[in-house]
Amino acid sequence: MKKYLFIRILKSIFSILVVVSIVIVMVYKLVPTTKMFGNDAGYQRLKGIDKKIYEYNQLERLGYLDYVTTTDMCSEVYGEDGLSACLAGENTQEAYKAFEDRGYTIEVINDVDEKGQPATATIGYRYYNPIELIANFYSKLIVIDNPWAVEDANNPDLERKYYIGQDQNGIPALMCSGCNYKYQIYFDGSFPFIHQNIIELDLGDSYPTRIGVSTVSIIYSGQGSQSPFMQTFPTGVERSSALMQHTCRYKANPDHMDTQLFTDNYASCDARYDAPSMVNTSLIMGFISLVLAYIIALPFGVAMARNKDKLVDKIGIVYINLLIAVPSLAVIFFLKYIGSFFTLPDRFPQLGFGDIRSYIMPIIILALISTPSLMMWARRYMVDQSNADYVKFARAKGLSQKEIYTKHILKNAIIPIVNGIPQSVVSCLSGALITETMFSIPGMGKLLPDSIKQLNINMVLTLTLLFTTLSVIAVICGDILITVVDPRIQLAAKGD
Amino acid sequence: MTDPRFEFVNIDLAASEHIAAPQYSYWKSVFRKFFSSKVAIAMLVIMAFVVIMSIVHPFISGYSNLAMDDINNPSARFLSISLEHPFGTDDVGRDMFAACWAGTRTSLFVAVIATIITNVIGTVVGMFWGFSKKLDVFMIEVYNIVANIPFTLVAMVLMFALGQGVPQLIFALSCTSWVATAYFIRVQVMIIRDREYNMASKCLGTPTFRIITHNIFPYLISVIMTGVSRDIPSFISYEVFLSYIGVGLSEKDISLGRLIENGSAYMTSAPHLFVIPVFISALISVSLYIVGQTLADASDPRTHMI
Repeated sequence: MKKYLFIRILKSIFSILVVVSIVIVMVYKLVPTTKMFGNDAGYQRLKGIDKKIYEYNQLERLGYLDYVTTTDMCSEVYGEDGLSACLAGENTQEAYKAFEDRGYTIEVINDVDEKGQPATATIGYRYYNPIELIANFYSKLIVIDNPWAVEDANNPDLERKYYIGQDQNGIPALMCSGCNYKYQIYFDGSFPFIHQNIIELDLGDSYPTRIGVSTVSIIYSGQGSQSPFMQTFPTGVERSSALMQHTCRYKANPDHMDTQLFTDNYASCDARYDAPSMVNTSLIMGFISLVLAYIIALPFGVAMARNKDKLVDKIGIVYINLLIAVPSLAVIFFLKYIGSFFTLPDRFPQLGFGDIRSYIMPIIILALISTPSLMMWARRYMVDQSNADYVKFARAKGLSQKEIYTKHILKNAIIPIVNGIPQSVVSCLSGALITETMFSIPGMGKLLPDSIKQLNINMVLTLTLLFTTLSVIAVICGDILITVVDPRIQLAAKGD
Repeated sequence: MTDPRFEFVNIDLAASEHIAAPQYSYWKSVFRKFFSSKVAIAMLVIMAFVVIMSIVHPFISGYSNLAMDDINNPSARFLSISLEHPFGTDDVGRDMFAACWAGTRTSLFVAVIATIITNVIGTVVGMFWGFSKKLDVFMIEVYNIVANIPFTLVAMVLMFALGQGVPQLIFALSCTSWVATAYFIRVQVMIIRDREYNMASKCLGTPTFRIITHNIFPYLISVIMTGVSRDIPSFISYEVFLSYIGVGLSEKDISLGRLIENGSAYMTSAPHLFVIPVFISALISVSLYIVGQTLADASDPRTHMI
């Protein structure tokens, strides 16, 4: 069992890597880069050489290419000593030549500078090949914080050590000096109660919207407006602030405001917001709707099987066929229309996070669009089981129809249904993509179409990785779950 | 044998070979079974109407999504339903009746081509997959990778990478969906490949290829038909969704999804712009689905017994 799980997890990681690698290559090689800059307001203001150089800088930051200036090329070829001579014009052509031999394209830009005067600049760039693209993506993916992470020339005496300290609430925490984060492991009242800042995912920065913010923090940080609360800062100052001290990072130049609150350089903290993050919004809605879908679909499916070929069964079959056949977009619009009669908003932001009515329709719709397949399979398994020998025996013993169905058939039919849970999670993720877009819910599902429209490649890659990982985990959990429900099933011997 | 009441008859060898059973023709039985369902006939009429209209009408109207002749004529915009414009006009004065049929044509075209690709590749691969142990080892891993990812995500990311357009959309829709079809066919093949009649066929020396094409394929027709009747509506649904969120088709192509996307902005002020395309997409999906399901039932020889 352990060995099987180990191999299974390895295979799953492999499949995630394959999918993400394919997506990386496709996105980097096929998406036109020119349209991307159209959404960048800063780029639009630039002109001439600056615009061109900004473009290459940005492409390098996004991981498309390696961009080198004349200075870079000269210092690479001739070192620090020959740099000034090279820049002055001596041997410059040899430096270009050396880089051209390495596969770089040398481009001479003849355009105007910011003052409108004609100017020339020579730059070199080289687009990465698919293998380099994939390697670059994974090599920077996981960042491990360590006491030597901070490199600050102004603070040479910075101590490099881990220690056990107390946070502002007096709870012990593993802290670090010299790391990027002050609190490495800490406890607080929010789920899952124990938190860490040691391992971080780096999936690049968002571009061209919310430039410079990392994609991971867009998904994980709270939304809405800042919500201050009373807290004590390391200097002893007690005041109402939205800063969360557990998230404080090293700040090279703390300003006057920071020194009032913090005794050390760890002063760059995230703020607390009053609305849940994108990932939490999606998870909360997804989870509730999944539970709701099972609560609706299972009893209905069982009732259909018990009354096979009767009215309930026929109504159920019509319902299943209708929901499968009609485009889900049309179903959602129809349900939204019905919801408007109960004064439920047809867009999430109308009432916002605070109002429970914002959540009702999206959750109901998300649940309803995953019911038909659940009902169909529940009915199928129940009908298949109802002809089994043990059912005939139970009937011969004189058990009532109700007892047979709830105590005998359901227990056997539930096994494949449990195994179907991961598939429901996957379809719930798909459903969330549609529902969140239709209701403008600020969650991960809406973020994907939005970032596709804005050509935000890092965001698309982040979400692809996230969705793929979530669904792969769901499938593994579903298989583990059936061994819990039915001890007869041995996963290890499953290889067919 | 001198009794005059008896007389000799000639031995008819052909007659002795004759099996005393009613004439059976597969396709005749399929059609008889199909046309015995009134709902299916009604849906077939609706389907035929929609399909013919979507093929013929764009030729008559010559609809082009880029032709906006009345864009500067406010009196031609947002016209309600009338005799001249049976479905009204949209925000730039285009006739919705022509737009709807041209859009239906694109949506149907995308869905049908994607379904054909999915099912042809899926069936061929699936049948060999069910027989070959070597292929199984490889394909099961491919299936595990593909089945774990939400299809909507695959389609969206592919459209993002490939750009908008009809061929891109068809590729995005059929790129991974054939794996699921192949897996389904594989399971069906595994169930029936070891049945007695196939064992007998094998013992008599029939090559595997012939068993696949002559013994197993006919058995699978109804299974494939069920898949097809589910695929077409689901591909229409995906086309509508992808175009609605703006990654499906570009401005020069009109489709039901794009019509719904355009119309959703005027849901309260000019609801016909939105309701009619939604209704048409629901109509073709439901009619295609029911016709397909009935045809699938009818094409199963086991239902032909009277």
